[in-house]
Amino acid sequence: MLTVSVKWQKKVFESMEIDTSQPPYVFKAQLYDLSGVPPERQKIMVKGGILKDDADWSTLGLKNGQKLMMMGTADEIVKAPEKGPVFMEDLPEEERAANLGYSAGLVNLGNTCYMNSTMQCLKSVPELKSELSNYQSARTKDVDQTSHMLTVATRELFSELDKSVKAVAPMPFWMVLQKKYPQFAQLHNGNHMQQDAEECWTQMLYTLSQSLKPPSPSEDPDAVKALFGLNLRSRLHCQESSEESSETESVFSLKCHISHEVNHLHEGLKHGLKGELEKTSPALGRTVVYIKESLIDSLPRYLTVQFVRFFWKRESNQKAKILRKVDYPLELDIYDLCSEDLRKKLEAPRQKLRDIEGQKLGLQASAKSSSKGDDVKMTDAEGSSNGSGESSNGDQQGGASSHMTGIYDLVSVLTHKGRSADSGHYVSWVKQESGKWVQYDDANTSLQREEDITKLSGGGDWHMAYIVMYKARLISM
Amino acid sequence: MAPVPDPNSVGGGAKRDEATTKVPSKDSKKKDDKKEEDLSEEDLQLKQNLELYVERVQDPNPELQKAALESMRQEIRDSTSSMTSVPKPLKFLRPHYGVLKEFHVKMAESDLKKMLADILSVLALTMSAEGERESLNYRLTGSEGDIGSWGHEYVRNLAGEIAEEYTMRQGEESSIEDLMDLVQQIVSFHMKHNAETEAVDLLMDVEDLDLLLEHVDSTNFRRTCNYLTSAAKYLPGPDDMLVLDIAYMIYIKFAEYPNALQIALFLDNMQYVKQVFTSCTDLLKKKQFCYMIARHGITFVLEQEMVANEQDREALQDIVNNTKLSEGYLTLARDIEVMEAKTPEDIYKAHLLDGRVSSGASVDSARQNLSATFVNAFVNAGFGQDKLMTVPSDSTSGSAGNWLFKNKEHGKTSAAASLGMIQLWDVNTGLAQLDKYFHSSDNPVIAGALLGVGIVNCGIKDDCEPAFALLADYIDNEDSSVRIGAIMGLGIAYAGSKNDQIRSRLSPILNDAKAPLDVIAFAALSLGMIYVGSCNEEVAQSIIFALMDRSEAELGEALTRFLPLGLGLLYLGKQESVEATAEVSKTFNEKIRKYCDMTLLSCAYAGTGNVLKVQDLLAQCGEHLEKGDIHQGPAVIGLAMVAISEELGLDMEIRSLERVLQYGEPNIRRAVPLALGLLCISNPKVTVMDTLSRLSHDTDSEVAMAAIISLGLIGAGTNNARIAGMLRNLSSYYYKDANLLFCVRIAQGFVHMGKGLLTLNPFHSERLLLSPTALAGIVTLLHACLDMRSIILGKYHYVLYFLVLAMQPRMMLTVDENLKPISVPVRVGQAVDVVGQAGRPKTITGFQTHSTPVLLAAGERAELATEKYIPLSPILEGFIILKENPDYREE
Repeated sequence: MLTVSVKWQKKVFESMEIDTSQPPYVFKAQLYDLSGVPPERQKIMVKGGILKDDADWSTLGLKNGQKLMMMGTADEIVKAPEKGPVFMEDLPEEERAANLGYSAGLVNLGNTCYMNSTMQCLKSVPELKSELSNYQSARTKDVDQTSHMLTVATRELFSELDKSVKAVAPMPFWMVLQKKYPQFAQLHNGNHMQQDAEECWTQMLYTLSQSLKPPSPSEDPDAVKALFGLNLRSRLHCQESSEESSETESVFSLKCHISHEVNHLHEGLKHGLKGELEKTSPALGRTVVYIKESLIDSLPRYLTVQFVRFFWKRESNQKAKILRKVDYPLELDIYDLCSEDLRKKLEAPRQKLRDIEGQKLGLQASAKSSSKGDDVKMTDAEGSSNGSGESSNGDQQGGASSHMTGIYDLVSVLTHKGRSADSGHYVSWVKQESGKWVQYDDANTSLQREEDITKLSGGGDWHMAYIVMYKARLISM
Repeated sequence: MAPVPDPNSVGGGAKRDEATTKVPSKDSKKKDDKKEEDLSEEDLQLKQNLELYVERVQDPNPELQKAALESMRQEIRDSTSSMTSVPKPLKFLRPHYGVLKEFHVKMAESDLKKMLADILSVLALTMSAEGERESLNYRLTGSEGDIGSWGHEYVRNLAGEIAEEYTMRQGEESSIEDLMDLVQQIVSFHMKHNAETEAVDLLMDVEDLDLLLEHVDSTNFRRTCNYLTSAAKYLPGPDDMLVLDIAYMIYIKFAEYPNALQIALFLDNMQYVKQVFTSCTDLLKKKQFCYMIARHGITFVLEQEMVANEQDREALQDIVNNTKLSEGYLTLARDIEVMEAKTPEDIYKAHLLDGRVSSGASVDSARQNLSATFVNAFVNAGFGQDKLMTVPSDSTSGSAGNWLFKNKEHGKTSAAASLGMIQLWDVNTGLAQLDKYFHSSDNPVIAGALLGVGIVNCGIKDDCEPAFALLADYIDNEDSSVRIGAIMGLGIAYAGSKNDQIRSRLSPILNDAKAPLDVIAFAALSLGMIYVGSCNEEVAQSIIFALMDRSEAELGEALTRFLPLGLGLLYLGKQESVEATAEVSKTFNEKIRKYCDMTLLSCAYAGTGNVLKVQDLLAQCGEHLEKGDIHQGPAVIGLAMVAISEELGLDMEIRSLERVLQYGEPNIRRAVPLALGLLCISNPKVTVMDTLSRLSHDTDSEVAMAAIISLGLIGAGTNNARIAGMLRNLSSYYYKDANLLFCVRIAQGFVHMGKGLLTLNPFHSERLLLSPTALAGIVTLLHACLDMRSIILGKYHYVLYFLVLAMQPRMMLTVDENLKPISVPVRVGQAVDVVGQAGRPKTITGFQTHSTPVLLAAGERAELATEKYIPLSPILEGFIILKENPDYREE
């Protein structure tokens, strides 16, 4: 009979008795009682060796009072999770791109930055992408060959961008674009000329609106129109004859005219909706000056605003650029540019939006003083439930329950840097779904801070906004 | 000897040269009239007296002669006690030196002649020509009276001449007995008059330091030994050992055992260590010795004769075995309030970077998780808790397992082993936590658990030898990753132990034809660690055979470098002992021959400061090779290893590395940052920091990676804000390059190692002692960094854990007589070099007063700010036992 002490974790089991006539397994059972570690999990260390279950005590040379050490726990054995984590290094290239949080850039094929930046901006509209993916690869009768090809090329380009990590060279798309719009294929000194991004933007939207029309003529407007188009109701007014007429037109973008008084996008828009034109007056029988005042009659999901920075300078025979600084907000409210009818429609959703926002503010305020009382907590709960409701519904695409509010959030900016339309450099700045801003400078992409986006308002030689795109803030009723 | 006309050797009073010597003389009165007028009356009187004495000395009447000599002696003695300018009597006697010399020759042997010789000896002090050693010669023929009566300067001059004479006589092999008598006198004079350094210098010149033992006393032995130990760093070959031997004996003589022990450890002389224990009778002091031995990291077994009482011996052995290290470290951590575990994100501080914020990828990157594993391990090292590995497992899955499985394949090895790092030094808890991984079915996890056991046991010894018991079974496992885990674990746990049992298990692997190369490489490395600095023949043989057995292709592999390194570690700091092995290495395949050569040379002279070897290595770096040769890398690291020992050499080395950097080939440039990292390890010098920061943007990514790792090394365990900022910026600069980003992360982990409580510096005890295991760990990492891509960025990243060998708390923890921590006020400040300074100079400057436990940064020193306690060791680092001062009176 031997007496030993066994050290286990932080404990020491003093004066354990070993019956040397029994196999060590018996001793282990003793330890099991004390420590709760099952014998098969016990490792007992004796002078640099591990006690085997069937060892002979006499050969171990144990001394009375010797200290032994036991290792072992009753813990659960670590098992690999059934589904191991997926590592970025193992993913195929396209999935890695998804994890980057933003898609790849486009290679400049020789003065094609206008095209690259336009496409990056358009690509940021998820609804357009889904429309494109529904587009039939087989050509239908009512779409001409080149438009069809361009639409398909656009779809291919978007999907390729989503897949890859490295910058994509949009060669096929570029070829088709030139075919469809030969003006983009103009050469100057053997190089492709720099083009106006606005022209490219407009042409692209026009083509897409043509080809994405529903096959059968129905009441539904085509998809592109639904997304980008807005109706303007104009009132023509002749001062001389006091004649009045009204007309409606459908456009894809608003113009922001830049004059000396314009310092802000809002002023520019107002300016752009008011104009003079010469027209033959049926009453007077001659050409007179009419004043045209337009108001917005229907709102698009994506509001595009073009800053009219370029104008034809007759004396120098070139397109000159207005460098004036025109601020634009991250959140645009165009309520006062809307027609009476539309305003009425907007009233209720706007009220609702205000309520929600008010509650959000109230929530924050009450969070600061949480000891106020039960009634405050009640509103807290309400506010938070409403807040979450809003976020889930707001994301729904054009559901019956969501309504326009006339408030828009900035989602992408296409900027131009340089002194004339035919030179310089176009870059696009796009807000990702994650809320982060990414700059697409041809093949290079980089993350940007939101406060830097509003600094692209011109007034210097830095990139300045040329086309901005806003997304409607919807509210469910 | 000197053929040039010499005013002193011209007989009959100087005549022609008077004008130049500017000494007034009676012969050329006209010229000197003016000068004599300049003299004050007193001086004139003295001058005339002296002239009279000179005449009288030549008088035939012995009585008169004697009187004259005595008067002359009196005059001289009165004036030579201090020597800021030439004393007047010497000045006035100058013209008569020749006369007196001539007369001395003519004199018959007598006391008077001796007396005159004495005077001439003193006069020769200013008048003898260079190299004539007349002062000494006259002294030897003189009366042998009290040497000090002639003043310090005379003695000093004499000592100088003795040294010259000694070298000459050594050349002629003539007797030096008469000189030694004089030496005796001089030494005893110096030692009595606060001039220990000169006494030591003289004795070193005449190669008879033993004499010192007779002359030191309780007032001056400290300064003497201090001078001896610091002089040893600059002495060549066997002399330094001799000097330290003497210092040791002096310390023993005066029962200054802690210092004696320090030197014994420096000499790596276990006999001396034993002697310290047997000579000392105070048990408490012996406990302090044990703490010192534990810090040095050597394996030491106390014997009956050292400590008689068995129970005491057990308690002391516990200290040597470092079992209390974890407790002390946690005491420090609690006192400084850094127990809260830190996550890798706390270290990266990404929110401080503007602009390029990571896009918050939703999918894990194996590389980034691996770096997080290491950062987590290093930052929380030894704290026993973290936020990835030791999170209490929730009921369903056990989240501790979750992080483990967020690492890929071999990454799991490092992750499992990181648990060992977190539980560092706490063997009991560590083993309990690692236990669950032993039962895993996943080989990399088992390998990690084995490695973790090794890490937990690093520097800790236990009678039950848990590391060997647990790991031995896996050495011959069929899976090579498991084998490596076990082998590396053993190497870390038993570094420096010279354990034969392990050797008998590991050696066969080396010469096993079937074993894969990586297993062999790690086996060689582990053997090198276990037998570090032992010059063990058998291990050397095994590694040499293993090297010879490698095929041409295998020699080109990155891991093969661990074989020569393992061999080199056997001779770490052992200087000439390496020569036989170095000869053998010349027969190796040329692919590895030079690499082996450089590694052996640099290891053998590591920490010696040997200038000749530095030059050898520099010469290697100067060559511009065609390509493919990799031996210059270890040569550059070798430069740092040799020069690291003392401050002056270290600074010179930093400067010469700048040259090497500018003129060297790419393979040299890649190693330079690593060398800088070693030179300033855990000591962030601003100049080096700037150099490395510059290199971290180098166009050669290998240079950049090495520089980044080195930034981590120089800041290791310091929390240095500047390096942390640099690394943060680098992390955004290299955010797209996974390899460089990995290096940046690792470096960030190093800088915040142990949340700033640890150091990697292998030197300790006021930079005197070099812990061989610590250096071995660092050097291994550096060699691995020479081929970063294949080793650290490949699947052998766990070599980073070799650094654990060098990790030590940079603390001063005071404990009372029962070894319980007590808090006392201490002053901590920049250490001042007080070698060779008289009196009791201040040893620290710019100090702040704290209460223990305190952290000590590189180059800092602590001293007690209270008289209430007496520390048992003069070197206030690590654990210090305090004894109450019996003479203390509360004010």
